[in-house]
Amino acid sequence: MIIRGEDIIIKTISRVLVPFIQLYALYVIMHGHYSPGGGFQGGVILGASMVLLFITHGYAEVNRKFSENIAVLFSSIGVLIYSGIGFLCLLLLGNYLDYSKLYKILSVDPAHARSLGILGVEIGVGFAVMAVMFSIFFDISTGGVSPDDEEEAE
Amino acid sequence: MMSVMTIVSVLFILGGLFFFTTATIGLIRFPDFFTRLHATGKGDTLAVFLSLLGLALYEGFSLTGLKIVIIAIFMFIAQPTATHAISKAGLRFGLKPWMREEDRK
Amino acid sequence: MNNFLIVITLALCLLVFVVLYRVVFGPGVFNRIAAISAIGTKTLVILIIFGYFYNRVEMFIDISLVYALLNFIGCVAAAKYLETEG
Repeated sequence: MIIRGEDIIIKTISRVLVPFIQLYALYVIMHGHYSPGGGFQGGVILGASMVLLFITHGYAEVNRKFSENIAVLFSSIGVLIYSGIGFLCLLLLGNYLDYSKLYKILSVDPAHARSLGILGVEIGVGFAVMAVMFSIFFDISTGGVSPDDEEEAE
Repeated sequence: MMSVMTIVSVLFILGGLFFFTTATIGLIRFPDFFTRLHATGKGDTLAVFLSLLGLALYEGFSLTGLKIVIIAIFMFIAQPTATHAISKAGLRFGLKPWMREEDRK
Repeated sequence: MNNFLIVITLALCLLVFVVLYRVVFGPGVFNRIAAISAIGTKTLVILIIFGYFYNRVEMFIDISLVYALLNFIGCVAAAKYLETEG
């Protein structure tokens, strides 16, 4: 008898591949200055790895690792990192997102401070894109109602 | 004068192009879904592996060559898995495998 | 070597157009998904060869790895969706 939705080959291969995909996504975020990529693209690859895990292992497994509430929290943290670095530059008497002013608190020269500021902003963008993409996928695949809510209603 | 490495890489890329061509002919000419998948699933996997190996040999032993080999290994794992997934979905969807006229009775 | 790679690229582009016949006229959605997956693998090789023309191979390799990744995930997702459909 064939059990619907269960396949040992696809499950095993995706479980092996997902950590490498996430490692590659972190490489894309960190290496964004020198090669194509950056925060948005790396975040999309991170989100795609979680989508692959959702497709192959089902709702319960993913909800245990990375639930919908945590996804919403991560998207807020990403936006907080982005706008926080921007306002930090305002407080240090520069324009919004004027990274070179960050050298006053990072104790490096302005060129290095600009590079580090861009890296921080890209990490924030990556967090936000990953979490928002994954929560959109959650909403589409469960129809906006998570199985936990249905259990509570009953 | 071409070096030995370049000649070997040219041979690998030509082998890849040959298998790409045979896979494409199979995809166009075969009678039903499963036989077409049988042509592209195996042919394309070997063709990508040979082409990327040839390009990596042409690049030489460097970080770029290593990355090309990593892509080849990834495709060698991922492409058969995708083929398996789509063929099993077709079987569960209810597509009938093709048979010869005399076997069908 | 450069001329050889140009010939290879043109041949692969021709093969992509031949496979496009299966995408447009193929009976049923499964034939179309198989053909799109075949086009993706050919595009992967074409992208890396383009890197040699522009002398930026290390840049095009990252793009083609992402392309391979999304091709795989898209194929598995389409298979999963159509499996629960019928």
